[in-house]
Amino acid sequence: MNPLELTLGIMTAVGGFVDISELVFAAQAGSIFGYALIWAFAFSTIGIMAFGEMAGRVAAVANQPVFNLMRHRLGLKLGLVTLFASLLSTLVTCAAEIGGLGLILHYLTGAPYLLMSVVSTAVVMASMWVLPFKWIERVYGLLGLLMLVFAAALVAIHPPWDKVLGGFVPQVPSSLSTKQLLQFGYFGVAILSAVMFPYEAYFYSSGGMEEKWGPKDLLTNRVTTTVGFVLGSLLAIAILASSAQLFGPALVGPEEPGTTALEAAIPFGRAGLLIALLGMLMAVAGAAVETCMANAYAISQFFGWEWGRHKKPWDAPRFTIAWIAFMLLALAIVLTGADVMTLVEYAVLFSIIVLPLTYLPLMLLAGDKGYMGQYANKWLAKGLGWTYFVIVCLAAAAAIPLYLLTSGGQA
Amino acid sequence: MRCLLLTALLVAACSKGPDADLPAIGEARSLAAEWALVNEQAAAGHVTPTYARTMRAKLREQLQTSLGSLTQPKSEYGNEVRSLLAASGDASPEQLRAHTRALKRIEDSLESA
Amino acid sequence: MKLTGSIKLVCQLLDLPILDKDERWCGIVDDVELEGEPGKTTRVAALLVGPGAYSGRMPKFAYRIVRAMAGNRIVRVPPAEIADIGSAVRLKCTAQKVGLHRTEDRVRAWIPRWGAL
Repeated sequence: MNPLELTLGIMTAVGGFVDISELVFAAQAGSIFGYALIWAFAFSTIGIMAFGEMAGRVAAVANQPVFNLMRHRLGLKLGLVTLFASLLSTLVTCAAEIGGLGLILHYLTGAPYLLMSVVSTAVVMASMWVLPFKWIERVYGLLGLLMLVFAAALVAIHPPWDKVLGGFVPQVPSSLSTKQLLQFGYFGVAILSAVMFPYEAYFYSSGGMEEKWGPKDLLTNRVTTTVGFVLGSLLAIAILASSAQLFGPALVGPEEPGTTALEAAIPFGRAGLLIALLGMLMAVAGAAVETCMANAYAISQFFGWEWGRHKKPWDAPRFTIAWIAFMLLALAIVLTGADVMTLVEYAVLFSIIVLPLTYLPLMLLAGDKGYMGQYANKWLAKGLGWTYFVIVCLAAAAAIPLYLLTSGGQA
Repeated sequence: MRCLLLTALLVAACSKGPDADLPAIGEARSLAAEWALVNEQAAAGHVTPTYARTMRAKLREQLQTSLGSLTQPKSEYGNEVRSLLAASGDASPEQLRAHTRALKRIEDSLESA
Repeated sequence: MKLTGSIKLVCQLLDLPILDKDERWCGIVDDVELEGEPGKTTRVAALLVGPGAYSGRMPKFAYRIVRAMAGNRIVRVPPAEIADIGSAVRLKCTAQKVGLHRTEDRVRAWIPRWGAL
């Protein structure tokens, strides 16, 4: 295990953890419910750690990409349903990220939002064309570490640390009305979905194959998914806790993604604001790349096309056309004028419904001794996998009713 | 029984009045509070002029959307949102927070009704 | 596993990815063609690859959509070209030899060959 590679892998996982959905829901959850939903982030992070580790292990040992194996396990018909549902949910997520990029550039430059969406899409696509896989991941992941300013900002505003730590204990505040309880439930489901987005498993697994992981990389996989995801989750929790301290008492929702940057502006002034906006820009850009490539991976692997950004674009032509097409489709959704916050809500809603279809085959594959040999799921992975699968199914069933009953989290 | 359910659903879908406007009132209250926070930080020199300008424009745009979505725009809360929109972009945080508090009062009274 | 003994068609063959001798991905086993007579051993005559092979595996309306989008081409891969069957079907030959890389090669002509590191 190369310590430098491992460190870079962890840092990339940290910088790439937070996307536009987590930014929005962390800030809103903190403002409305104080520290009471910190445990939802922690709980969801354990879930993505379990499934991320499985996805990486399947890539390293079975040496087959997830969607290949998924089609083989589910067959053509159910496989197509899973593929279609996954493509749709990830496309909406990609559109939310691109909209987020346009907004952040608009706050930074003052240039029109839609124009900035087009410009940022072009820049992201250019980077995906020019850079090989490892550098795409590293550039966005490492620059996303600018988001650490939110962790520093939380320390600087001296929150009540006993309440912050108390937020890690699973709880439902006792003083909530029925409407607020439903809203609390909605936020719990939304946070679970935002942290455990299906595209993350596809991207992580395919990324492992891009980097030609083998059984010798299993420790790297385990350390990246545990340490990297935990630290990334702490960033999201820092945003929530700052919001509880700064926005809640001021009756701020917040309704605009740009308001979150004020968490760094309040203690650190303009420098804090700029670092926060740049960190958000890189984190959201990284998520746009991941969602776009996850869709290209899924469709290429399902139909057996050449795939991967470790190859030159012309050596995997249908894969190249696929990621270009998905990025342009996502941009087209943004150019219809769809509100970014609405796109975020739909992304989270579609994703939680698709999650059971994504995670069950992955868990069965990771537990299959025929593919995995001695590296098949042991008691911890089995226990966590089945527990979270049941929770994800319950969340998927509750998502739409909660969305309708709370008018999208408004109560 | 089916007819009754269908009628109830239709009535719920077409409902007007303060209950239906509650999400929009909460949204307007938050937008006013965000606007106040942006102006407070701008006055303290903690944000760039571009950020302040673009945030104010976005928040006003959203407030306009909230006003447009009200089923009772001539209500007390409708008037509150309209007077908020009439404020200048760099209005004082205290002025904006007065609107926030007013909208919060209306929101709380409707929720407890 | 070689294609000489018995094989479980669904769990060991159908929907497996196919790799040619240069380790290039060249499709999925979309269907299997069998040959045999009553009372005699049934053999795998060919692996069928391509959208045309979906016709027996999905509802008619769904196949019409697939055909409109992707055509109804089928490539037959003879068992003689199969080197091994495990988590993927590995061929003894290149994809070009059995006609599996045609679409990929056609699309390659659209992709500019510059700029990538």
